[in-house]
Amino acid sequence: MVYAVTPLLLLDQITRRYRPEAAPVLDRLRLQLAPGEYLAIMGESGSGKSTLLNLIAGLDRPDSGRVLFEGIDLATLDDDAVTRWRRASIGFVFQAFHVLPYLTVLQNVALPLDLLGVRNPQRQERALQLLEACGIAALAPRYARELSGGELQRIAIARALVHRPRLVLADEPTGNLDARTAQQILRLLREQLHASAANAILITHSVAAAATADRILQLASGQLRPAARSAALPSVP
Amino acid sequence: MNRSDRARGAWIAWRALTRSQLRGHPLQLLATVLAIALGVALGTAVYLVNSAALTEFDQAARRLVGSADIVIRGPPEGFDEALFASLARHRAVSAASPVLDLQVTLPGQRPPLQVLGLDPFRAAALQPALLGEIGADVTGLFARDTIMLSRSAAQVLELRRGDALTVIVGGAPKSLRVIGILSDAVYPEPLGIMDIATAQWSLARIGRLNRIDLRLRPGAPADAVRAALAAELPPGVVAVTPAIERGRALTATRAYRVNLNTLALVALLTGAFLVFSTQSLAVLRRRSVLGLLRALGVTRPQLQGALLGEGAAIGAAGSLLGALLGALVAALILRHLGSGFGNRAMIAGGAVLVLPSLAIAAFVLIGTAVACLGAWIPAREAARRAPALAMKAGDAEPSLRRLPTTLPGLLLIAAGAILAWLPPIGGLPLAGYLAIAALLAGAVLLIPTLMRWITGTATRSGHATLDIAVAQLQGSASISTVSLAAIVVSFSLMVAMAIMVHSFRNSFDLWLVKLLPADLQLRLSAFSDTGALALDQQTRIAELPGVARAQFRRVRQIWLSADRAPLALIARDIDPAHAGDSLPLLRAAQQSLPDGTQPAWISESLQDLYGFQPGDRLLLPLDGRLLPLFVAGIWRDYVRPDGAIVVARAAYIAATGDQSANEGSLWRRPQVSAPALEAAVRASLALGDALELIGGEQLRERSLRLFDQAFAITYALEAIAVAIGLVGVGVAASSSALARRAQFGMLRHIGMLRRQILGMLAIEGVIMSTLSAIYGLLLGAALSLILVYVINRQSFRWSIDLAIPWRQLAALSTALITAAALTALWSGRAAMSQDAVRAVREDW
Amino acid sequence: MRSMRLALAGGAVALVAAVSATEPPLATALPAAAVLPGQALDFPRDYGSHPQFGIEWWYVTGWLETREHERLGFQVTFFRRRQQLSDPNPSSFAPHQLLIAHCAISDPGRGHLWQDQRVRRAGLGLAEARADDTSVWIDDWKLERSGASYRADVAAEDFALHLQLEVTQPTLLNGLAGYSQKGPSAQSASFYYSQPHLHVSGSIARAARRDVVVGEAWLDHEWSSQYLDPAADGWDWVGLNLDDGSAVMAFRIRGHQGQAVWAGATLRDAHGQVQDFGPDQVAFIPGRRWHSSRSGVSYPVTWQLRLGARQFDIEPLLDDQEDDMRLSSGAIYWEGAVRVQEQARAVGAGYLELTGYQRPLSLR
Repeated sequence: MVYAVTPLLLLDQITRRYRPEAAPVLDRLRLQLAPGEYLAIMGESGSGKSTLLNLIAGLDRPDSGRVLFEGIDLATLDDDAVTRWRRASIGFVFQAFHVLPYLTVLQNVALPLDLLGVRNPQRQERALQLLEACGIAALAPRYARELSGGELQRIAIARALVHRPRLVLADEPTGNLDARTAQQILRLLREQLHASAANAILITHSVAAAATADRILQLASGQLRPAARSAALPSVP
Repeated sequence: MNRSDRARGAWIAWRALTRSQLRGHPLQLLATVLAIALGVALGTAVYLVNSAALTEFDQAARRLVGSADIVIRGPPEGFDEALFASLARHRAVSAASPVLDLQVTLPGQRPPLQVLGLDPFRAAALQPALLGEIGADVTGLFARDTIMLSRSAAQVLELRRGDALTVIVGGAPKSLRVIGILSDAVYPEPLGIMDIATAQWSLARIGRLNRIDLRLRPGAPADAVRAALAAELPPGVVAVTPAIERGRALTATRAYRVNLNTLALVALLTGAFLVFSTQSLAVLRRRSVLGLLRALGVTRPQLQGALLGEGAAIGAAGSLLGALLGALVAALILRHLGSGFGNRAMIAGGAVLVLPSLAIAAFVLIGTAVACLGAWIPAREAARRAPALAMKAGDAEPSLRRLPTTLPGLLLIAAGAILAWLPPIGGLPLAGYLAIAALLAGAVLLIPTLMRWITGTATRSGHATLDIAVAQLQGSASISTVSLAAIVVSFSLMVAMAIMVHSFRNSFDLWLVKLLPADLQLRLSAFSDTGALALDQQTRIAELPGVARAQFRRVRQIWLSADRAPLALIARDIDPAHAGDSLPLLRAAQQSLPDGTQPAWISESLQDLYGFQPGDRLLLPLDGRLLPLFVAGIWRDYVRPDGAIVVARAAYIAATGDQSANEGSLWRRPQVSAPALEAAVRASLALGDALELIGGEQLRERSLRLFDQAFAITYALEAIAVAIGLVGVGVAASSSALARRAQFGMLRHIGMLRRQILGMLAIEGVIMSTLSAIYGLLLGAALSLILVYVINRQSFRWSIDLAIPWRQLAALSTALITAAALTALWSGRAAMSQDAVRAVREDW
Repeated sequence: MRSMRLALAGGAVALVAAVSATEPPLATALPAAAVLPGQALDFPRDYGSHPQFGIEWWYVTGWLETREHERLGFQVTFFRRRQQLSDPNPSSFAPHQLLIAHCAISDPGRGHLWQDQRVRRAGLGLAEARADDTSVWIDDWKLERSGASYRADVAAEDFALHLQLEVTQPTLLNGLAGYSQKGPSAQSASFYYSQPHLHVSGSIARAARRDVVVGEAWLDHEWSSQYLDPAADGWDWVGLNLDDGSAVMAFRIRGHQGQAVWAGATLRDAHGQVQDFGPDQVAFIPGRRWHSSRSGVSYPVTWQLRLGARQFDIEPLLDDQEDDMRLSSGAIYWEGAVRVQEQARAVGAGYLELTGYQRPLSLR
């Protein structure tokens, strides 16, 4: 079988149980991410959203089925290899920001480049570039512990994209933010994804947040199904 | 809310908190409890042993001097018995009992046997029990060479009624007949009783007594009478009261006790540090539970009370355990070592451990209070935090940062530097101890500043792991203070102790070499009063073909002051012009020898105790006359803390006519082997094994071995303190790793390898412990100066020269750094074993 | 005769004896001098001590009356015991001579005795018995003759006696001019004289109470080297000052069955005529017994004494006059003030001594 284009991400019949005898959290789940796609996955608490995200990031392994990233089966890589792959290919945005409080904003954003061995001045240039893009260049020399939630998440977005990852995984990025800030963050995320031509999967249970994505899937009973876009909710321009 | 509600709230909170705490980290809890237990145990044991010793001393005094109000004491050679006749007639005296109280030399290099030569009829007035016990045998004691033994002496000497006891009098053995065994009720200590007339004759003390026990008429003022009597006593004879003797016995062990109590205090403070860090960690870990409790309506004081309660519970558990341990250790010490802390001045034969419940309760209370002190700051911190904030993810660093530390730290260090120069207080180096405490506290307070300064000046390497590690250390300087303080304090104390002991050992070794240059040392049972080599025996030894050179010494006890133990007079061959060749001389007089005086060299303790200086004149009471001496120099003596004075033997013989000797040094001719010489010496005297012969090198080794044994316990305690400090580091590392669990998760997400994270932790550990080691070394070196020049000098009244044990310090530092890095790594691993993935989603 | 005094010293003596029996002397010590008849006493030399004899005592007993007419008995006794030391110990503490002092007041108001005792070795001037005249002391306890009077000073823990004893009659030599036989064998004998009818004045103290007293006393001085017959358990003795100025000393030595082994007496009448009584002229007939609850010993405390044709009835001042000298000599005996009647008429007062009732005295 020949694909015209190898899909960036292919989940093939993924099954994952927490305990051998328990019902599977993910049950023969399939997912294919089209190039450049921004996908939102919604689901109730405990539906397996985080498990799915971990499997995609190589932080967890399925009981059966395969996770293929650009055609490579993550199961064939050992922990170090997966980590190195993740280091280069994935960007993360977390609900709790996870910006290191004792590093400056610039250092935080440069961290992924640091890990990739990018040297200065390129590293600093690139980090500043992203800060500027995210509208927080002025914060560069400041320490994270002095900043607000919105600012922290902007930093997190900059950090997630600084090393030009193929895929950004955002796990409830607005969960700790007020509605107005959430809107701004989602807009920024979308803009920056676009700017860097990265794919993204957004995990959320917020309909409003999901609405900013290109496609929305609903995770229920271990399976992904397309979710109807609610007309009642405003879409993000 | 009424009082019972408040208490209930606190109780519920406490239960909720403590359950999770106990389940969570039993090891740290255990370490904390043990640290407090150690401190309390040490304090309790020292106290118990001392009070048992005191009780024993009092009882022994009552047995040995009976109900005497005043005891007249003279040197072992005694004073004229006419003094007894005149004192017995003194109008203030109602009863007088003449005594020869001698340490009788025994053969076989056994310790001497204390023998009391008494007039049973006169002694009965002061010790009625004695005559009752001797009973029908009293006239048996009148027979020639008879003795009664206490049961314990009979047991030690393996003698029964009717057996012969061989003692050494002068240079010859003498056989005494054991005519009775006294029950433990009268004298539990090993002791012999002779009739005074028999003792005078058998022990070669005709016409002499060395003790008179006096009871005063009712209403006679003991102190005034003592002062009046003292003025009339011949030189070298003193009048003391039982209270003075008790005080002297107390003083003998005081320095040891203070040292041990200081160690106990260090252990307790370390315990307090541990409680502090454990509780800080516990508060951190249970932030959400605490927040929840607050949200559910537990008030701030209730929460604080609950957290303090935890500290109190830890403290009480540790203190109870410690009190138990202390009692056990005290019992063991009393059984195996006696109550004198190895000090001969206070041998307690029958010291019995009595558990004073009040004192024990006090120790438990102190331990608990110290633990509460440690728990107080974290409890206050936790209670202050707003409930909502407490439930949120937040700062790992409590508001310690707010406390200004730099200036107080500097002030404390300055205070310590000044205190170190103060003289002893009441004969104790209290200012020195305070100086150490101030330096330690000041140094600890400077840690945050120094940490920030050092990590701040560190340049960025560009390596993520290293930079993050440095940044982490820099950012958490204040919280690191706690764990750093524990390790810096214990490590610096260990360094100081190591330097002090090494210096002492070095000086001691040099001293031994100086004082024991000969091939063979000989002496007649140490610390005994009756054995001595006659002149012809000395000549016989000196003229042995294998002897290249022989030197003999006469060592005697001299009472210089009623308030102080007797000093040792050493009459030996010495060339006044080159005294430094054979004495470890520290200072010499500049003046020339005044007419009519003899040169004398005094030990440092004599200088400290009596204030004599080189160039001073001093009158030495010798055989009832005063011998004018000139202090020609001061020498170092590590054997006789009560003081020693060296005079030329020729001058001594001229003054006293006493040509006997009880010690000697022999140099052998090269062609004669040491064993052959030893055999020849023994054969030349009919003394058998009574003569102690030992090679100079052998003696040196034995002395050093004894030295090492004496300090083994100190090392053990110090090692325990450092181990506790390391546990403290472990606790702090755990707490820091725990607080950074989510951070590790994030780093794993963004592609940091597991080993990179562990490496980062190890780097943190190494940096921290290296800084601690360097800081501890510097601080320890400063403290060792105080130990060497202030505390040692003031406690023991002898000086030592500073010597740095470089290799030992290097090994110690390496061990510390490795251990600390491993500890940090281990706690990081523990934090990493939590699923890093889940950690990033934890939203506390 | 003051045998009883012996008893006291006897305790210590017995001990020495026991030791010497098991341990033959290493060196030859001078044996004790023997008491032989026909040696005239030589005063004042013989008032003094006779250290070459084994045992010796000065024994003062008597009656006192306070200003409140309280009647009391008293005794002040000094014993000297020669120790048969087997060696020439040059120590000045060498116990060649032991001195034992005993002192008591019989106090009917109190119901029993005030008593105290001291034992010391002689020496250093602290405890001595002088050989030239009566002068014997232990520390501050002292009995001393000077001129025609004796002085007794004793200060015990809780009582004291300070008495002047004036001699009113010539010295009374007992037995054959001072040679007093104590048993069937002539070896058992002592030198023995008495000073009856001593006029006493002075003061006594009992606890915090002091009294000026007057009274009449009797002094015995006796020395010997072999006293008690082996067949004897003890003795009974009286010394009586009769109101007419006459004086009676009588003793009997008791055998194991309580029978008299020997007896003797001296009576000097008001004109100074001395009569010596042999064993068959003296009879001690015991009367009422008193039982000591302290020692468990039972003593006959009333007596009938027959001297030839004369018959005296003896009654104690109080029953409990038991002396406990176990701390110094090991003996317990009865020594007390007694009243004397003859033909149901009070004729005088004196002292009675009863020894060997607890167990046989092992005096030699």
